[in-house]
Amino acid sequence: MVGLIVRLRFAMWRTAMTRSPLHLVSSILGGLAALGVLALLGPGLLLLSQRPLRITALTVPLFAVITLMWTVLSLIATGVDSILDPARFSVLPLRAGELARGLLAAACTGIPAVMLTGLALAQVGSWLAHPAAVPAALLGGVLGVLTAILLSRAVTSALARVMTTRVGRVLGAVVVSVVTLIPLAMNTLLTTGSLGTDLSSFDATRSAVLASWTPFGWAWALPFDVATGRWASFGVHLTLAACLVVGLHAVWVRLLARTLTSPLTSSGGQRIGRGRLLPVLLGTSPTASIAARRVRAWYRDSRLVSIALRTAVLPIFFVLQAVFTDTPGLAGIGIVTLAVFAGLTLMNDLAFDGPAWWLHVAVGVRGWEDRLGRAIASTVVFGPVVVLTFVVSVALGVISNPVSWLTVVVVSFFASLGLAVGVGAVLPGTAPRTGGNPFAATSGGAAQGCLTAVVSFVGPILLTLPAVVVVILTSGSGAGRWMGLAVGTVYGLGLLATGVVLGGARIDRHAPELLGQLATAQI
Amino acid sequence: MTEPPGAGPALELVDLVKEFRGRRVVHGLSLAVPRGSLYGLVGPNGAGKTTTLSMATGLLRPDGGTARVLGHDVWADPAAAKAVMGVSPDGMRLFEQLSGRELLTYVGALRRMPRDVTAERAAELLTVLDLADDASTVVADYSAGMVKKISLAAALIHAPRLLVLDEPFEAVDPVSGQTIRTILRRYVASGGTVVMSSHVMELVEGLCDRVAVIAGGRVLAEDSTAGLTRGGSLHQRFLELVGASDVAGEGLTWLG
Repeated sequence: MVGLIVRLRFAMWRTAMTRSPLHLVSSILGGLAALGVLALLGPGLLLLSQRPLRITALTVPLFAVITLMWTVLSLIATGVDSILDPARFSVLPLRAGELARGLLAAACTGIPAVMLTGLALAQVGSWLAHPAAVPAALLGGVLGVLTAILLSRAVTSALARVMTTRVGRVLGAVVVSVVTLIPLAMNTLLTTGSLGTDLSSFDATRSAVLASWTPFGWAWALPFDVATGRWASFGVHLTLAACLVVGLHAVWVRLLARTLTSPLTSSGGQRIGRGRLLPVLLGTSPTASIAARRVRAWYRDSRLVSIALRTAVLPIFFVLQAVFTDTPGLAGIGIVTLAVFAGLTLMNDLAFDGPAWWLHVAVGVRGWEDRLGRAIASTVVFGPVVVLTFVVSVALGVISNPVSWLTVVVVSFFASLGLAVGVGAVLPGTAPRTGGNPFAATSGGAAQGCLTAVVSFVGPILLTLPAVVVVILTSGSGAGRWMGLAVGTVYGLGLLATGVVLGGARIDRHAPELLGQLATAQI
Repeated sequence: MTEPPGAGPALELVDLVKEFRGRRVVHGLSLAVPRGSLYGLVGPNGAGKTTTLSMATGLLRPDGGTARVLGHDVWADPAAAKAVMGVSPDGMRLFEQLSGRELLTYVGALRRMPRDVTAERAAELLTVLDLADDASTVVADYSAGMVKKISLAAALIHAPRLLVLDEPFEAVDPVSGQTIRTILRRYVASGGTVVMSSHVMELVEGLCDRVAVIAGGRVLAEDSTAGLTRGGSLHQRFLELVGASDVAGEGLTWLG
């Protein structure tokens, strides 16, 4: 059974790659990225063996964090790698235990698992200076890798059950969005605290001990315990780590057994309000109706909820960091970044509609109505967030030159919106499946993704640059700055109008072809 | 529906050609659907029914040929053609974040109908199609049959003069199926035209007044239902035309 499922996985992988060049390219890019991580971290880990024990101890917190992030990231990735969805096996006469072994083996052959195994081996290398710790490192590595893989499987299986309801998906999206921000929060704390990175005085022992007593660090602490001669902790850690692996396996098998007997189906019957406010605010023209639909999607669609949250929470870190570190430029840059991100969310807006967009084509909606409606929706959703962040920052005194910064913010927001509605009509991008995993990575489709990424990165900078020049030229006098704001606003709206007209014209000419692209836009 | 029938077909397809990755799936297909008829399109899986209907409704650009809806060229003047046509494709998702009522209101707004007219018609359609209790449920939580019905309602709301329905009865329960048949008959009686595809021969035979049999992207036969069946059943005639193989008689003996 194990061999069969592993072969099945490779067969499906091969088919996916031969059928779609995008899949092939993204697989290659994923493999290269994994190799890059190995090439970057591997030698570093090996070099740790040349260092004193207090520095070698770094492996414990490092791998504890890797194990935690592995679980979080696997949530984001399951949408992409749902080839071996356990529910698909529910019609076959299979016991959960057998299936679990097969799926585990298949999971171990994936690029991420191979990368983790490589890192775990490098971790063994870190302890070469302490021969007694090497077997412990090997044992810890095996247990640690198993913990990471089983934990991610168990958590995804458990969450899959929650995710079958729309409300569950929205809640899940909220939780995971917040969790993925943890590294950012840690960064803020690190840069604001007094944690130095001076190697001569650096001591990882304390953080190693701390990490060793979290479930993520139990296994990875084994070589550290041996090297420092803490045999009692070694015994406890070994027992805990082994129990964790066995326990996670048991939990996962039970979840699988439940999936096999009751394949997941939506519980259905979720009702929503009448939504009377939006038509009053926006009107009932086609453009307004499209805007209202997209605004609703931003809070009803779990896929968008997680994006909206991440986009909206991001600038808070910039502003906080500006307050803590007293670098005024940071808050301004943070808000400009928010404005750009908010505008660019429209880039793959069509992919979120996916094949359902046929309705627009069948009705014969004009391209500019489609584009303008979406731009209005994004302005309604993100405009207040941008304005609020700006006002709060000004009130906190972290923005030194409000009018000038406001000009840049306004221009960058409208420029990104214009860029997104224009480019989005040519490259509709990709999105997670409707009703699918809301955490699934939205970038996907590597080749198109790369092109979009370049456009998303360079475009807003180029388009905002003239406004920055105007701001610098007019910064001399108060009246000049207000003039700059006026000119900037007109310029930004001009860019948006250009995007709407060009994108709309493209849709008018190529709607059926675009619909064809959208048929495969959801992954 | 005030215009009298006549004056050219409601839907006219001339030499439609479609290729996917160099493989031709529709071979110069021509059809003329008379005004005021209930027209059935039948064919085996992969016959090109959906592809043909997509090209007729402006959802898929043909590689050759023309499609005319009540005199408007679908590909030269899409706006005019789409204004008089209601479409319910098969297997295409709807905007699932909207409730049933919101979806109908949305379509009404896109078609620039007055808001009160849309609201009135939406309420009536939801009641007739037995969706009134689920009017505030998002379409994502609808069953397959309910999706079919709301899709039909969305195609009907602007009172089109041509209805193009791909598998309108699939997954629909018998009671709703009867309702839909009644709606379609009444619609045709008042001058509307329906083009529908289906796998279910009995249904087409009982409902449609003209039938075209399509296989391999070509029209094999086209006639009035009575003319095509000529005493036999549409089922038999279809199997004759398509050339059903008699595998079940020979193989699978181990199945008992």
